[in-house]
Amino acid sequence: MAKNERKKTPQEMQEPVVDLTIDYGTVDTEPEKERPMGREYPQSRNRMPESQLFEFAAYHSQDAERIGYSNYSYWKSVWQNFLKKKPAVIMLCVFILLFIFTYVAEWISPYKIAELQQDNQQIFLTPSSEHWFGTTQAGKDYWVITWYATRVSIGLAALVAVGQIVAGTVIGLVWGYVRKLDGFFTELYNLIDNIPTIIYMTLIALMVGQSVGIMAAAMIGFGWLGTARNVRNLVFMYRDREYNLASRCLGTGLWRTLFRNIFPYLISVIILRLTLAIPGTIAYETTLSYLGLISEEYSLGILLKNSRDYFLRFPHMLVFPAVIVSIITITFYLVGNAFSDACDPRNHV
Amino acid sequence: MSENKLFDKSVYDARARQILSQVPLLSARDVEVTFSLRGNKLTAIRRASLDLYEGETLAIVGESGSGKSVFTKCFVGMLDKNGSITHGTITYDGMDLTQLKENDWLKIRGRKIAMVTQDPMTSLNPLKSIGKQIQEAVELHQGLRGAEAKKETIRILRAVGIPEPERRYKQYPHEFSGGMRQRVVIAIAVACKPKILICDEPTTALDVTIQAQILDLIRRLQKEEGMTIIYITHDLGVVANVADRVAVMYAGQVIEVGMANEIFFDPWHPYTWALLSALPQLGVKGEALPAIDGTPPNLFNQIKGDAFAPRNKMALNIDFMEEPPTYEVTATHQVKTWLRDPRAPKVEQPKAIARLSEPKVDKGTDPDTYHPHLDPNRETLIEVKNLQVTFGRGRKKFVAVDDVNFEIYKGETFSLVGESGSGKTTIGRAIVRINPITKGEVLLHGQRISGKISKEQDLKVIRSMQMIFQDPMASLNERAKVDYIVSEGLINHHLYKDDHDRQNLVQAALNEVGLLPEFSSRFPHEFSGGQRQRIGIARSLIMQPEFIVADEPISALDVSIRAQVLNLLNDLKKSRGLTYLFIAHDLSVVRFISDRIAVIHKGRIVELAESEELFYHPLHPYTKALLSAVPNPNPYVERNKKLLVYDPTQHDYSKDKPSWTEIIPGHFIWGNERERDGYLEEIAKKL
Repeated sequence: MAKNERKKTPQEMQEPVVDLTIDYGTVDTEPEKERPMGREYPQSRNRMPESQLFEFAAYHSQDAERIGYSNYSYWKSVWQNFLKKKPAVIMLCVFILLFIFTYVAEWISPYKIAELQQDNQQIFLTPSSEHWFGTTQAGKDYWVITWYATRVSIGLAALVAVGQIVAGTVIGLVWGYVRKLDGFFTELYNLIDNIPTIIYMTLIALMVGQSVGIMAAAMIGFGWLGTARNVRNLVFMYRDREYNLASRCLGTGLWRTLFRNIFPYLISVIILRLTLAIPGTIAYETTLSYLGLISEEYSLGILLKNSRDYFLRFPHMLVFPAVIVSIITITFYLVGNAFSDACDPRNHV
Repeated sequence: MSENKLFDKSVYDARARQILSQVPLLSARDVEVTFSLRGNKLTAIRRASLDLYEGETLAIVGESGSGKSVFTKCFVGMLDKNGSITHGTITYDGMDLTQLKENDWLKIRGRKIAMVTQDPMTSLNPLKSIGKQIQEAVELHQGLRGAEAKKETIRILRAVGIPEPERRYKQYPHEFSGGMRQRVVIAIAVACKPKILICDEPTTALDVTIQAQILDLIRRLQKEEGMTIIYITHDLGVVANVADRVAVMYAGQVIEVGMANEIFFDPWHPYTWALLSALPQLGVKGEALPAIDGTPPNLFNQIKGDAFAPRNKMALNIDFMEEPPTYEVTATHQVKTWLRDPRAPKVEQPKAIARLSEPKVDKGTDPDTYHPHLDPNRETLIEVKNLQVTFGRGRKKFVAVDDVNFEIYKGETFSLVGESGSGKTTIGRAIVRINPITKGEVLLHGQRISGKISKEQDLKVIRSMQMIFQDPMASLNERAKVDYIVSEGLINHHLYKDDHDRQNLVQAALNEVGLLPEFSSRFPHEFSGGQRQRIGIARSLIMQPEFIVADEPISALDVSIRAQVLNLLNDLKKSRGLTYLFIAHDLSVVRFISDRIAVIHKGRIVELAESEELFYHPLHPYTKALLSAVPNPNPYVERNKKLLVYDPTQHDYSKDKPSWTEIIPGHFIWGNERERDGYLEEIAKKL
């Protein structure tokens, strides 16, 4: 094909660049001949007779059309960029190991969470080979309790964070894109946001119930606000771009416009919010437990709450859950930042 | 005006003699500038050399990315932090500017060499009054104080053509229009009394009529203040207007430099040829413009040989191997191309270059060319009746378009020309139903499509009308593959049998706009502006429309790429029988492509006529002003042209109400009884 033919020509001619030996048989060997001004004598012009050098090269417009970049994949670039952030990668590994360990911990321990009994003989034991994290005020093994509580908290936090972000993103997209609904959502937001959420939470806990399920639902119910507002403001930036007008000309529906045209631009922000929502939820859950609004038996929040009366005398009550909470918070902070940076295509290529 | 006077090259000859007898004021030799970007090295300037002589205006022309801005930023020590001069010297006043430290620069920047940039809004401080900002420069550089400095400031304001300088002195940047702001920026630069003034695309963001005024100002200031000017632009018409000497840059090198008349009438680099031939002004209606294929090279890669070779239809084998040396055409004209080597085959300059030196005569409508609207069986495709579009409500209500009437016939290119804010885009968007209309209606094939219509008809309208957008960077969804972007319309209405069928349709559409099939799996950011614009066209074509609204489809593109898109639009018009509404601000481009032109001013169409007729008989004073402001790429004509300024207050509509009338067949105008009589007299005189 003509296309290939053209591609060859310059390459063939380029080959001699590597081969710097000059074949005097084929080259114009009269350097003394009068040269036009400015002429520097070259290093790489051989193998092609002088007469051919000044012939027209074949031309194909398809070749001029080629573009320089290799095949590009968005998520591959995201992943590659993320891997460059060493601290985040390390912390992510630590966190994954920690999460797996919440299961392993109970398995390697002689105590099982379901079989823990109150034992007044063994209260407030400090860590030992018998009780690796010591015991609680009820004489229960703190090792299994801590790891079980970690698992519960992570699960709860992930559930709440995902729920909040999904609800917030969907509402925010519609809020920002559909002009007619802007007033309604803004008033709704003001109505809910102007009263401290802790009051709502208290009311729900007293009127509906204090189980983890209800509280998680309530946390999602009030947590979407911030994300929705944030997403709405971002949608404004992209709403009137020409590519959205083009989609309107093509008759693209609302949901496809939102999820194909706008959502992909918000991924980095949404991921950042998601990763920060996880430690945020753990902290919030701690607060709610502290206030006695959650009636779960074990969670990191409950453990921290329980330790407040004793930790001056029995620091192990505080130290173990606190260290785990810190690890989780730091991990998600680092990973969130790194991942949202990596999601920004301006940092690719 | 006699022809001899029109083609008087003595101005340039005198300047050339003067230059040859001088030592350069500033001399850049083998300058290389590299930037480091995320670990990659980009060589923006590849050993470029350039001389600047006292008292001249040197224009630097090139596409975006050719390095024209970066090169001149070296002269004022304003390179971005990640860039550095890695080779070469820049000699000025016995100093090598490449060796200067930041402290030394303070003595030169502004005082000796000043710069005016593209965007006047970002170069002014919004929190300080205009007068204070200029006075600051006066006090710093001329050593004047207090009342004296103020007096000088007011003098400068007057010199740059700002009316009522005493009152304007106290005003803030937001109270100034774009053109006035640019005058203020120029005033600040002039206040420093620099030897050299670098103007980096100072008029690109401005309307043509304002641009013409700023160009006039720059030429006058040069004479009055005795400055040497470097003028950077991509617009060859502007070059013809201001330049004594022209340097053409491509891929970080100066590839041709010479007196303006030499570059325009006797250029020798194939790139300069291509650039000039691709000008729509020199195109022959109905023929394809000689376009340059492809895009400028990626400067991250090592460039071997002549950087232009891959796009050059007349490239020699040696162009791919070795960089050409500089050959001298005349004492003032140097060119970097192997074609000037004695061993190279003899070539002739392309025809379009010769066309440039022929005086263009406006002849009015050519009876031989076919225009759909002149067809006795013409079919009205689009009808706009009493269209009004308003934005905002209550006190903030703004009428963007008022009482607009026109018809578009099947198969024609109807152009809408006006300055920014005139409402031309609003009309286009109202027709494709992006902007809701307040009054009037739009008809397609005689059926109303504005307002509420049935779902069935909605789909029909979507399929028959599509839009092409101005900014190729913003009009494609960056996060979707070309495959999705092009087939979006198909997916929306499920207009395909199976996925295989859909892909075939996408391939066919890409092929039709001259893109390679493998592009469908790429993301938009990998493409150049011209390629992106063609993807946008493919997206509209796949719906098989009969009518396309093209909203300034080439104004954001580089000169070398414009022709590609214009040709494509013309080819599609032929092959598919498309009808266009072409929206533009540049009359010269519009003349080449359109059958009829409507001129719009402040939301109202003031004149509508067949395109050659409009150039032959411009009647409305606004049309005349617009025509006089359009830059012409012939330096002789451009330098001698008379600029007309439109003053809307000249119409007295208090008693005699204006109306929209057909003054002679096919020529519509907005005016009152008295004006119409005047216009008729004018036409009679010309005939």
